[in-house]
Amino acid sequence: MKNLKQAWYIALKDLKIFVQDRAALFFSIIFPFLFIILFNSLFSGVGWEDDRITLHVTTQEPEGGISYQIIAAIETKDEEALSPGDPIIIWDKDYEADHQAVLDGKLDGFLNFPASFTQSLMSGASTGLEIYADAGATNTRAALQGLSGAITSQINADVAIIKASAQLLAQSGASPEEIQTAVQQIQTDLFSGAAAAKSYLSFEVVKVGNVEAQNASNWVIPGYLVMFVFMAAATSAPEIVKERKNNTLERLFSTSVKRESILGGIYSGIAFKGLIQIIIFWVFGILVFHVNVGLSPLAIIILSLLMVIMSSAFAIMLATLANSIRGASSLAVITSLLLAPLGGCWWPGFLYPEWLQNISKITPHAWATDAFNKLMVFGADFGDVVPSIIALLVFAVIFSGIAVWKFRISDR
Amino acid sequence: MADDFVVVKDLHKSFKDFKAVNGVSFTIAKGEVFGLLGPNGAGKTTTIRMLSTVLEADSGDITIGGYSVKKNAEAVRTLIGVCPQELALYEDLSALDNMVFFGHMSGLEGKAAHDQAMKNLKLMGLEDRAKGKIAKYSGGMKRRINLAVALMGNPKLLFLDEPTVGIDPQSRNNIFENIKALQKQGLTVLYTTHYMEEADRLCQRVAVMDGGKIIAMDTPYNLKKKIGPPDKTTLEDVFLNLTGRSLRD
Ligand SMILES: Nc1ncnc2c1ncn2[C@@H]1O[C@H](COP(=O)(O)OP(=O)(O)OP(=O)(O)O)[C@@H](O)[C@H]1O
Ligand SMILES: [Mg+2]
Repeated sequence: MKNLKQAWYIALKDLKIFVQDRAALFFSIIFPFLFIILFNSLFSGVGWEDDRITLHVTTQEPEGGISYQIIAAIETKDEEALSPGDPIIIWDKDYEADHQAVLDGKLDGFLNFPASFTQSLMSGASTGLEIYADAGATNTRAALQGLSGAITSQINADVAIIKASAQLLAQSGASPEEIQTAVQQIQTDLFSGAAAAKSYLSFEVVKVGNVEAQNASNWVIPGYLVMFVFMAAATSAPEIVKERKNNTLERLFSTSVKRESILGGIYSGIAFKGLIQIIIFWVFGILVFHVNVGLSPLAIIILSLLMVIMSSAFAIMLATLANSIRGASSLAVITSLLLAPLGGCWWPGFLYPEWLQNISKITPHAWATDAFNKLMVFGADFGDVVPSIIALLVFAVIFSGIAVWKFRISDR
Repeated sequence: MADDFVVVKDLHKSFKDFKAVNGVSFTIAKGEVFGLLGPNGAGKTTTIRMLSTVLEADSGDITIGGYSVKKNAEAVRTLIGVCPQELALYEDLSALDNMVFFGHMSGLEGKAAHDQAMKNLKLMGLEDRAKGKIAKYSGGMKRRINLAVALMGNPKLLFLDEPTVGIDPQSRNNIFENIKALQKQGLTVLYTTHYMEEADRLCQRVAVMDGGKIIAMDTPYNLKKKIGPPDKTTLEDVFLNLTGRSLRD
């Protein structure tokens, strides 16, 4: 209890110093927004239409299956008519060819309707769509998952309509034959013709078409959030070294404050600042820059918090590794400025060549920006960013481990 | 002695192969102001850092208020207040914020911390500068706050490591008066300095330290008496006599 209270007071003290420090406030809160506004205007309107994702769809069903009607409905007929950010959907007739193309690395991936699609749909079994994608083609995979999710949920809605109709008919005393005929009629209505085309397309806009790629903020803001949360934390490292040098940590220690409380207090102080930053980033991002938080706001929140946790641990680790205030300062600036562009904070990482994307995975930044991009640009769901969440956790654990192990209250 | 508040036995501390403290033993009675005198590098600060639990001794025993520093550092820390030789303050906070903060750290709650901070600021004659940032204080003012912080939380034993360096004579007199007043309330003090006249004025007993060892320990009067008429001799002369060197060399 006493330890917690002391840690709390230490954190509050650091926060008080931060709030009174105009330069620090400017640097960690106002400055990032100047960057965002600048880069937003630089990148907005840059040829996003050319970067449209192309999605391939195949079916193994015999002709006449429901999948034929569905694909016909969602297939892109007129590229000119697409909204910005909508994917191009191509109907490939040869499943085997697409499969081989993925294996050969010639195609990033495709969505397939299995041969038993109509059958299992009608028998009430779950309708598994199959996604074949190259392990490295994360963006395509995420988009295909979005598309399959859209189709599945639409189908589920349609099946529900059919079931409800059949039940109504049964209650009104219709014979099995009459019901059978009616259901077939509804099926045809739902899965084909103009009505179907319309409903699937509209779905596409809501879910897959969530890709408002023309809004550069969708990747500019998370990029700078990652960079500045990390940078603001890292630049706390020289402050910690300063406390070690000017004997205040030693003074705390002799005032019966435990090492854990000192560590916890310093850590929470940095994390508080990070929390303030991410709250401001998202509030402004959503209200002013109209970013799209995608299908999983929860994932966005978790990723943002993990950025704060990981960066705070990094700052303390940096302070324990540095022997002087100047050393800590340089380390903070160098790591912040090196890791940010490498980790896709300045330019979207998905535009990097694959070898660079692979190298960038050594930075926590890359995992974070990659996850934000998937969620906010490519319509991915929570499950798609779990690897990033785990990666950030691992970074946080490693940094915290070194920080706790090496933390000292005095250099003397 | 039964009422010895501090007992130090055969303390040793080396940095690499340099012996900074080399077999130091002394006791401080409850309510005593005990002086540790010595030139630069004698080992005074190192001794204080070991007594105040921030530096581990290589060997030897320290007992404070009945608690062993080695076995029960936690209990010792609740008894002590440290005024370190180097300033240990948050430059970006006000004097009051500094004192309230360290008050909280030593277990004072809300208003009690604030009240005691104001009381100690008044003691140092700085109450009208309470809200000023430490960074804007003069050197001597910072030193007075450094000392005032050590008083937060009502310690039973005060370590004052050269608290008067850079302080003007008037403030110094004021600090001496305060220490004497606190002593009357039962406070025990370990005072280091290389101003011999300070020790003469303030301390009931002094230990003269040189090269990590205590080379003499007695009342100022007795130490002076050994080498000449006490009223004509200074502790400065004592040191010169003991080491063949002047204190400030
Ligand atoms: N952390 C350390 N590492 C190496 N040497 C040290 C360390 N701390 C102190 N010393 C050395 O130990 C010796 C005693 O230092 P100490 O600070 O205790 O002296 P002091 O009596 O307080 O001197 P002063 O009057 O200058 O404050 C000095 O030679 C000093 O250089
Ligand atoms: Mg010293």
